Amino acid sequence: MSISDATTFTSDEMASRADMIISDGVDKWYGDFQALKGVTATIKEREVVVVLGPSGSGKSTWIRCINRLEQHQGGRIAVDGVELTNDTRNIEKIRREVGMVFQGFNLFPHITVLDNITLAPIWVRKKPRGEAEQLGRDLLERVGIPEQADKFPGQLSGGQQQRVAIARALAMEPRIMLFDEPTSALDPEMIKEVLDVMKELARSGMTMMVVTHEMGFAREVADRIIFMESGEIVEVGPPEHFFTNPTEDRTKLFLSQIL
Amino acid sequence: MPDTAETTLASAAAQRPPFYRDATVVKWLVQVATLILVLFAMFFLASQAGDNLTAKGIKTGFDFLDVDPGIQLNGGIDDDPATGGRALWVGMVNTIRLSIGGIIAATILGIFVGVARLSNNWMVNKIASGFIEYMRNIPLLVHIIVFFAVLGGLNKFTADVGPINGWLHISNKGVSTPRAFISDGFYQWAVFLLIGAIAGRFVMKKRKAKQDATGAETYPLGSFFGVVAIFAIVGWFLHPIFGWVGSIFQTIADVIDVIPQSAVRVALSLIAIAAAVWWIRRFLDSRRTPAGLAKLTDDDWFRMIFAGVGALLAAVFFFIVWPGFSSWLLNSSRDLFEVAANKFGDGRDGLPLGINRPDIAQRGNFANPGPAGLNLDTGVAALFFAIVMYTAAFIAEIVRGGILAVPKGQTEAAQAIGLRRSTMLRRIILPQAFRVSLPPLGNQYLNLTKNTSLAIAVAYTDLVQVGQTILNQSGKSLEVFAIWMLFYLACSLTISAVVNFFNVRLAIVER
Repeated sequence: MSISDATTFTSDEMASRADMIISDGVDKWYGDFQALKGVTATIKEREVVVVLGPSGSGKSTWIRCINRLEQHQGGRIAVDGVELTNDTRNIEKIRREVGMVFQGFNLFPHITVLDNITLAPIWVRKKPRGEAEQLGRDLLERVGIPEQADKFPGQLSGGQQQRVAIARALAMEPRIMLFDEPTSALDPEMIKEVLDVMKELARSGMTMMVVTHEMGFAREVADRIIFMESGEIVEVGPPEHFFTNPTEDRTKLFLSQIL
Repeated sequence: MPDTAETTLASAAAQRPPFYRDATVVKWLVQVATLILVLFAMFFLASQAGDNLTAKGIKTGFDFLDVDPGIQLNGGIDDDPATGGRALWVGMVNTIRLSIGGIIAATILGIFVGVARLSNNWMVNKIASGFIEYMRNIPLLVHIIVFFAVLGGLNKFTADVGPINGWLHISNKGVSTPRAFISDGFYQWAVFLLIGAIAGRFVMKKRKAKQDATGAETYPLGSFFGVVAIFAIVGWFLHPIFGWVGSIFQTIADVIDVIPQSAVRVALSLIAIAAAVWWIRRFLDSRRTPAGLAKLTDDDWFRMIFAGVGALLAAVFFFIVWPGFSSWLLNSSRDLFEVAANKFGDGRDGLPLGINRPDIAQRGNFANPGPAGLNLDTGVAALFFAIVMYTAAFIAEIVRGGILAVPKGQTEAAQAIGLRRSTMLRRIILPQAFRVSLPPLGNQYLNLTKNTSLAIAVAYTDLVQVGQTILNQSGKSLEVFAIWMLFYLACSLTISAVVNFFNVRLAIVER
């Protein structure tokens, strides 16, 4: 599958786009352990960034700081022009703009698939139920499982659950989607169905930040790859450069171990 | 030889083991032997008790239920019961009232304290912890006595003890407030309320549908209560027009009167047998696989035989053991409908409800709250507060455990889609915590109900206290014990059934 021209950019084009996520010198400690050491990066509108790195390198911590599931202790984070501070109004604003998909799906097991999706539109966006349900069914159609609307999450396969989780995040009509190892808990034959949905999302022009171990996906879809190790960004670059001609030794070591 | 092994296997299969090693036979023998043993033990105990009672010249029997017990009760629906049965009934009603009120209050308080215990607010957290530790580490009886002593320290009861003389008195005799009571036209008015509720439900559904379709706020629940209120107000003045409803009940009573006893006996037996047949058929259906009926195990056979024998025993019971049961059933249902019929019609065009202000009964030198008002005696108040707070402490821990049992990912997912904390608690966390908490919560409800028997410490007339008095006067210990046990058993089974119903209904669907 080839990526359409819409998602490959010249650097001039990229520079003219708005900054969606600014991470400036972000620090995070767990007790004595420093998980993030001055992580600095900017993600542009409609850009797809894949974050790679060995486990324990701080990729998940960083992505979870961006919608305040973890609290950063140094530096600053701004999402779509809103600074992430202790101001609860800003936190709420950012969470409405940012959708997130987790490794463990985290669907709500006690309500149906459709209710999982319509929860936020009804309670956060205050949409009438009829409209929210229509939106929910449209989203299920988009992720390819419209027939599962009235089942409970426990009755679905892992791949289907993760696609519901994507639909649930999309129901808030976010401008940015964060993916925290979305395929790591899936059986091999289910990974593809989730990746296909993510590719479709990337092609539609969503700003995406993806933590994953799927090198094929990274190579095919990413505009940029960020490689992290020990809480630091080691190397940043477009995929063809990153996979074929990495500059840093640590990147070469990582690639030699996984490819 | 290649077929040696096969031949050995075939011959081993053909050879039946001796019966004491045959799994099927052994299983049946054990079942039957256990049954015989249990029946024998019951028979032995019953006959021993009977022999002992005869030897001591004690007569058994429930005739004390129909005799004037000659006791005064200080609280409940009837303070001068005409028969022993009525006195026990007053005690049962008191126990039930205390239990239901206690369960509701303890649940609300318990959830509140449980959530507070998990609060990030240091102060709230520690107060909740302190409350839980204080309540659950001291015996309930001590709590009751402490509360009783504290409430007894209130002002002495007089006509002007306040706070609103003639309407609300708070004193060491408890709280007395005005009492609302059912008056002449109540049941006719109730018909209006019933129609109002049906109409209100209809309107509520309409408004709800409109809200879902358009998103406009249509206040479905508010309109339900609005419709009911309109019917209540109109019915307050127009209720005599429903006087004819009594004739329906009278007709039913007349019809019941002409049904022959034998017909009821046959019908009851047929119902028992039909239920057994229905159960066995359903059971067989559940054992049916696409490949045909699965092989039934010995336990399956035992269950089916048990169902069949049970139905036959029921029939024997209706025809031979207690033939009077059917006439009792007929008479009491006829009486029920006749009583209902008398609640309507002639002479019942007064107001539906009345209200009495609390009064003062002078007993010698002592002023007491009189019978007109609604009095909450300090004893009951102490008992109620102690039981509620004691149980709430345990419920709080159960709720806390339930909330902690909800995976952290649920909170994160709820935060990530932007839910507010209160919405998250109400829609995501508490519903899941509730599913985990329900079975232990049921245990606490059982405990609370049984703990109401400590009413005897403050001399409140619950079932145990009334039973104790009757037992002392009549000497019918076995009978009173039996009534106590059956009553608490019935209460416990009812609570279990309700909790189980919700447990099944709320189970999270998987696969």
